[in-house]
Parts: sequence; C-alpha cells; structure tokens
Amino acid sequence: MASPAIETEALTKRYGRHRGIEEVSFAVQPGEVFGFLGPNGAGKTTTIRTLLDLIHPTSGSARIFGLDSRRESVAIRARLGNLPGDFGFGRETPGRQAVELLARLRGVDGSARAEELARRFRADLDRPLGQLSRGNRQKVGLILATFHRPELLILDEPTSGLDPLMQEEFLDLVAEERDRGCAVFLSSHELDEVQRVCDRVGIVRGGRLIAVERMVDLLGKARRRFAVEVADPAGLERLRSLPGVADLEIAGNRATFGAGGGLDAVVRELAGHHVVDLEATHPSLEEVFLGYYDEGGTA
Amino acid sequence: MSRQIRALAALHFFDRRRSVLAWGLPLGLMSAFIVAIFPSVEDSISKAVEGYPQGLKEAFGIGQLSNVEQYLQAEMLSLIVPLAMGYLGVRAIASGLTGAAESGRLDVLLSAPVSRRRLVAAGFLATALELAAVLLVTALLTGLGSVLSGAGLDAVAAAEGFASVWPLALLFAGFGAIAAGFSLRTSVVTGSVAGLLVAMYVVDLVGRLDPDLSGLRYVSVFKYYGNAIEDGIDPLAFAGVTVAACLLAVLGAWLFERRDLAG
Repeated sequence: MASPAIETEALTKRYGRHRGIEEVSFAVQPGEVFGFLGPNGAGKTTTIRTLLDLIHPTSGSARIFGLDSRRESVAIRARLGNLPGDFGFGRETPGRQAVELLARLRGVDGSARAEELARRFRADLDRPLGQLSRGNRQKVGLILATFHRPELLILDEPTSGLDPLMQEEFLDLVAEERDRGCAVFLSSHELDEVQRVCDRVGIVRGGRLIAVERMVDLLGKARRRFAVEVADPAGLERLRSLPGVADLEIAGNRATFGAGGGLDAVVRELAGHHVVDLEATHPSLEEVFLGYYDEGGTA
Repeated sequence: MSRQIRALAALHFFDRRRSVLAWGLPLGLMSAFIVAIFPSVEDSISKAVEGYPQGLKEAFGIGQLSNVEQYLQAEMLSLIVPLAMGYLGVRAIASGLTGAAESGRLDVLLSAPVSRRRLVAAGFLATALELAAVLLVTALLTGLGSVLSGAGLDAVAAAEGFASVWPLALLFAGFGAIAAGFSLRTSVVTGSVAGLLVAMYVVDLVGRLDPDLSGLRYVSVFKYYGNAIEDGIDPLAFAGVTVAACLLAVLGAWLFERRDLAG
C-alpha cells in the first residue's frame, strides 16, 4: 500500500511562549485534495512551513511519502510543488527566468508545461515580477509550483489576488492534478474555495486541528442563510418547528432564516408554497465553526 | 561544482550585477584621482608628512610618501578600500540569504530539492566573484588614472595592493553568513558585521599605537592585511585569511541549516 502523501503525528511548534501549532495529526492520501481551513493566524502557514522543513517542529513528526520531513527534506522537495502564501521572487526577475532557474534546480525541462500554464492563466513571464500586480505575480507562483508535475502540491492561500475567472481556472487545474494522482494540500480561509474542490477538510483554530471532515459532512453541519419570498405567507411559521432551522424572521411575504444539517425538511416545507424568490448564502468560516459546535463536534 | 550551486550563484550575481559598477566606479574614480594628482602634490605631501607625529604615521601606516604607490596606500588602501570592501562583502552575502528571506524568494528556492548548505555556498561563491569584480574595476580605473596623468604607478604593485583586499572582504562575508545563522533581518546582519569590521580596524589601530596592547592585533584581520602594494602579497596571510573566510562560511551554513526560517 502506498504511503500517505502527508502524515503528521502530534506535530507541535512553539515559539518560546507564543503559540504555533499544537499536536496536529492528520493524513492526506495520494489523489486527494485536502483543505486546511482556518482564520488568519490559526496556524495554517506554520503547519505548511513545518512540512517543508522551513521551520523545525518542537515535537511530533511529519512524514511525506513516508519520508521524514526533517532528515529527508531534500528528497521530499524533489517530489512536491509549493506556492507560498506571500509569493515573492525578487522585483527584477522575470517569471521566465524564475521558471528556468527552478527547472535547473530540479533537473527537469519544464519549459513546455510552463508555457502551457502561462497561456492558460494568461501570465506574463517576460516582465519583471516587480512590475506585475499581485494577482499576476500569483499566477507566476502557481506556474512555479506546478510546472514540473509534482506528486504533492502545497498551496497556501492560492487564489488571493486572482480574479474570479482565474480562480475558476485554478480550481479546474487542482481537479486535474487530483485526477492524475497528485495529492493537494490547500490552505485557505475561504470556505467557498475549499468546498468547491476539496474532498476532505481539516479545520484549524488556535493552533489546534479541531476537526477533519469529509467536505460533504462539514457542509451538512454548516448553517446557511436563506431568504425566501412566497406568494402567500400563510404557513411560513411552520418553518420554525423544522429541525436545524433558527433565527426565523418573517416580514410580509418574505422569510429569512438559518438552516443547518439536512435541508430536506426545509425544501419539502417550501414546496408547499408558491416560491417567488429564493436566495441561499454560503456560511462564513465562523458560521461553519458555530454549525460544527452546534452539532456537538469535538473540539 | 554542482549544477545547483552554479545556478544559484548565477542568480545571486545577476541580482547584484549593478553593484560591480556602483561600488567599483566610485572607488576606482577616487583612486584614479588620488593617483592622478600625485605628480602635482608630491613635494608638498612629502614635506607635510615629515611634520606628522610619529605615532600617527605608524597608526595609519604612513612611511615615506615619496612615490605614487605609497600615496595610494596611504590614501586608499590603508583605510577606505578595505573598509568599503569589507562592508560590501557582508552586504552581498546578506542579500542572498536574509534579503532572499525578506523578499520571499527563499521560500520558493527551498521548495526545490536544494539544501540550505548549497544556498549558503552559492551566496558565498557569488560574493567572492562580486568582490573580485569590484576590485578589478577599481584597479583598472586606477591604472587608467595613472596612464592619463603620467603618474607612473607600478601596475603589478597596484594589482597586488588591490588583490590583497579580497580575502579581507571575503572574511566579512563569512561573518555575514554566520550572522545570518542567527538573524534573518538584513539590517541586523549588516549592522552587526559592519560593527565588527570597524571594531577590528580600531583594535588594530590601538595595537599599533600602544606597544603594550600590540597583542590585541592578533584578533584583528587587519594585522594580516599588511601593505601589499609596497611589500607584495604575503601568500601565507592571503591564504590564511581566505581559508578562515571559507571556514566561517561553512560554520554559517551549518547554523543556517539549523535555524527556523520563520515566515
């Protein structure tokens, strides 16, 4: 059986008296997209930097492809691609030069693939990075992370700065990488981004991994906001008695409410009305946390 | 030399390509000026030096200023060039390590299968080349000043004088590598090593002025720097300081490998 792409066991990093991460344990399998979800400062980047051996764990261990992340870090990095959260490479270096350098360091010829990705993301590889907008620099970072077809992709807040069209393209690329067997570890504080592409998600808060869920299960626990407008408001009050429905407010023909867990009962109830308009809003990260705790998740 | 070290050193040198002219031009023009004016100030300088206190002459290595080589040594090679080049040494290596960390480049480079040891080795190698290139530009401009003014500077002696600065400057690049093992802030690395550079100069100066403190000079690299334009390069001192610089870089690489590269 193949080793997990990533496997951590009680991975802990402390900075003196400051918190980093505490006993983070999880595994990511080859061909899986694993979302690492948490607010800013939760410990996502610390976890990634520990996996990459940029910082050394205080205790615990991390293995990538079965190799020790500290002792065998160079061998590990030959097999992965990484997009740092704050991608930079120097202001004067054009993207193409960065690609050529990384190709030399990796001992590969990835120029054709890099050109293909540059066309796909409409990235300008000829201008110095300092002359590019944040989003366009991020595109170059994505190319550097993926041009050599790694077995593991580590992406820290990958879509920050990308326009919606390029975010779509990026999510397609992640799906393609997964389909060819690449494991993807994607850190984000955007639930929308994570839910669209991840198979499983780990939720990190305060340096601790508080849950690892299948994406579908996590969304089931999240409380979404609904606004529904019906032709006849009679009977809307019945929504209040449905399991998982909270904060119901009715104003004229319009009702707003939050709903967590399964939505089947809500849909059945609304089916008895003539629905004029229906809006569903994705929950924020905090709402996901609240939904998770409401369902009795372990912390 | 490994493919990775060559590639990283080339990148480092590309980043710092302007420094060859930015440092070589002013130092070279200043040296050329010093050489060029020597024929017209020769007499007055000799008389002025005779009136200098003996201690001052010893402290700054001023003997007779009866030829242009001695004048170049006193005006440029005894203080300005070694201090400037020592500072350039630490600036150069810091840009490849702490500067790369600050710009985010280090994270990208260390996503590739590159050991931190190689990263430090490449930075040190590129710094050695940069220092040599700056000294070459300085020496060439100085020679040009001599030719144009007819000062009659001995080219071989001048070349030895400028070449003798190289190991000294490289030593401070080695100290820079060590400092980067403790701090990833360029200002801290350059500031601390520049302080050490000045401290070594002062220690050597004090040791020369006070015979009772002359033993202190052994801890300063300036003791081994000498006066190559007049005495020729001391091969033992040249090799010894170069080896010491390399050993410091090795120690710096060891420290750099063990430190956290915190984001």
